[in-house]
Amino acid sequence: MTEEKAYRRLESSKELQQISFQHMLEGHHASEEGRLAWVTSGFPVEIPVAMDVGVVYPEQYGAVVGANKVGPMVCGFAEDIGYSSELCSYARASIGSILKPSESPLEGLPKPQALLACNNICGSVLKWYDAVSELTEAPVFLLDTPALDVEQQPHHIEYVRHGIDNLIEFLSTTLGSTLTDERLIETAKLSSEAITLWQKSLKACKAKPTPLNCADRFLTMAPVVSSRGKQYCVDFYKTLYEEVESRVKEGIGAIRDEKVRLLWDNIPPWFQIFRFFNGMAQRGVAFPADTYTHAWSGAVEADDPYTSVATVYSNSYLNKGLEAKADKMEHLIKDYDLDGFIMFSVRSCKRYSLGQMVTREIVTERTGVPGTIIEGDMVDSRLFNEAQIGTRVDALLEMFV
Amino acid sequence: MSYGEIIENSAQRLQDLTRKGSMVVGYLYPHTPIELLMAHGLTPSLIRVNPSVVAGFEDSLQTFSCAFTRNIFSQRANGNLLSLSGVLFPGNTCDALQNVADVWRFRFPGDKILRVTYPATALTEHAVDFLANEFRFLSDNIAKMFDRQISATELADAASIVNDFREAMQFLYAARVYDSNAITYSELVSLLRKFLTAPDRSVVDEIAERFREIRQVLEKNGHLNSADILKDGLLIGNLEKVVTPPSNEFPRIVVVGGMVEPQAIASIVNNLDGVSDNIIALDLLSFGFKTVFTPKTLIPPANKGTKPIGAAPEPSYEGPFKAMARAVLQAPLEPTQEGLTTRTEFLKQLLTKIGVQGLVVCEQSFCDPDEFEAPSLEKAAEKAGIPSLRFPIDPELSDRGRLEGRLQTFLETIGEV
Ligand code: SF4
Ligand code: SF4
Repeated sequence: MTEEKAYRRLESSKELQQISFQHMLEGHHASEEGRLAWVTSGFPVEIPVAMDVGVVYPEQYGAVVGANKVGPMVCGFAEDIGYSSELCSYARASIGSILKPSESPLEGLPKPQALLACNNICGSVLKWYDAVSELTEAPVFLLDTPALDVEQQPHHIEYVRHGIDNLIEFLSTTLGSTLTDERLIETAKLSSEAITLWQKSLKACKAKPTPLNCADRFLTMAPVVSSRGKQYCVDFYKTLYEEVESRVKEGIGAIRDEKVRLLWDNIPPWFQIFRFFNGMAQRGVAFPADTYTHAWSGAVEADDPYTSVATVYSNSYLNKGLEAKADKMEHLIKDYDLDGFIMFSVRSCKRYSLGQMVTREIVTERTGVPGTIIEGDMVDSRLFNEAQIGTRVDALLEMFV
Repeated sequence: MSYGEIIENSAQRLQDLTRKGSMVVGYLYPHTPIELLMAHGLTPSLIRVNPSVVAGFEDSLQTFSCAFTRNIFSQRANGNLLSLSGVLFPGNTCDALQNVADVWRFRFPGDKILRVTYPATALTEHAVDFLANEFRFLSDNIAKMFDRQISATELADAASIVNDFREAMQFLYAARVYDSNAITYSELVSLLRKFLTAPDRSVVDEIAERFREIRQVLEKNGHLNSADILKDGLLIGNLEKVVTPPSNEFPRIVVVGGMVEPQAIASIVNNLDGVSDNIIALDLLSFGFKTVFTPKTLIPPANKGTKPIGAAPEPSYEGPFKAMARAVLQAPLEPTQEGLTTRTEFLKQLLTKIGVQGLVVCEQSFCDPDEFEAPSLEKAAEKAGIPSLRFPIDPELSDRGRLEGRLQTFLETIGEV
């Protein structure tokens, strides 16, 4: 069986190239006009977007570096000036591309005038953006959303809410932008619409066979990360959802012969994304759910967008403890009727990965399904031991025959 | 006393305290409000890395958890931390500690775990309010978990112990810059360890005794005024008025880094041929300088008595939780917080002002904050015209021979300049 036969290509994914082109174009345009911000993936982007600030995502750029299989080279540029190879490879890739744009994919990201970091995904973003600031001279704004130990407390909401006020002030003094409530509400609505459509597509994967596989979701999530708040983003998710719905109606699966349904945990190895998941597809293994693409789940409420931003963005998946992660995995396994799970232990992402060993135990105990941990990295292929991973995956799959 | 003996000694002191009925709560982050724990009748004890620990983390943490957390976790897994009645973890400082606390909860479900979440922003009133609320929660949790209520008198006493400790240590730190023979770096950091292992008035008295002696020494050799100016400058992060010390020791270095054990540095330096820890003018480590140079916690004395006529006006007091939060957030910024530019500017100023010949930049494996910051610190040193050495140092001092070799070569190189 060839790879093509095992795996069905999504029609709507063809639009992705167009969207990413448009996104890049907007980024360059904003940079030329002196209003471009680099933002972290979990940043409440509705605010800069409503203030007409252009945004690009270094994490997405890291994925591009990974997918182009030049991770070791571009990360290496950062290592050459002293950044340890143990650091987040998204960070290394972006630093490397700033140092040597002409040798990096797309010649790097357009030059930023501001750097917006929100630590609701990890603490590394703060350090990373500080390093980028040293190299680009763009000032950093940190929206501090301290990790939640238990439920979000009123003083936490208040603190983040003040952070949002400071953000607005920072953008107006740094970039001369202004914010009106109408614009924010309008942007929040568009953002929520896209997120809702995205969530519907994710939920549709409860169907058997699943209409979307892991790689489909990893690729089609790009606009919901980078273009939330834009009409073309909503349009894309309408098209995607239509295709997903029709696949479900007609019983068409993302892979041709779905025998085993697994959960994927963590970021994917971008340099292996097709090879790995299509290889699994050939063995009848589908991934109807994953923790990564389900992370973009909170929609900003239009009636009180400021407080809503403070709560939604503080309650992101990675800003909570292991208990919340285990709960999420348990629910995904039960709701999507999954047979097991693969946890990708990403060496350079401590926030997502440390704790997986105990989470694996908790999840198996609660759901009764087996899981395995494979180790590697999302961008840096030097850290990916294919043979070792193959052995682990084989051992897991043997449990289902 | 060797590094190993000092560790042994600290462990012994904790066991003695536990035997006598003290409830000891271990903590891992240098900016823990220890006066709050003391006011609840607990003994706060800084959990230190142990170089001789046998690995015990493998079933729970991947190898890319930082060297510090692996060491501490292994100590717990191997049953080395049994004298502790609970552990206080920080939240929102670094990704490793954030997750390791959760793993700990799961692996050792019988342990009493407390957590304080810190703001990552530099000092703002909103950050103070946030942290004050976190301290209030901590206090409530301690009361519930250990059935020990807070007492205002105890809090005032504890704050005065901690303030006296900081003030005396700040002077000792500054004094060494002008006369490193007055007190060795090893002695300085062992006094620090003694206090942080089990803080009480008797240790402060011991430190105060050295404080008085060394003030006399500096008075005699004419450096007292300069040391006082430096102490004040270090406390506010402004060294404009600082007088550059005469280059009596050559070469001298500053050691910078995060959660690196100062005693390990002293031990490595003292092991080098023909070198003593006098060469260390100052450290900027989390468990050293950054702990010590926390300003006073301004809590009103419990029994104020009658104010004498004509006495100096009292400082303005705010609630105790806010006062503790403010003190913590005024401490020198950690690499886990925002403020890289403030840190690098301060470092540049420091290197120039205190007339050192080299900078040693420590980093522990898989410590994101250290590893992210190191290139910027090197750059800052370069701008100040001071050579620097990247020094990868793990708690187990696993590569000790090579580390010593690198440091010796570095010192020889800068000594020749
Ligand atoms: S450390 Fe992890 S969560 Fe943080 S930016 Fe890197 S990949 Fe993302
Ligand atoms: S700051 Fe560094 S050494 Fe300390 S716990 Fe975090 S990662 Fe480990």
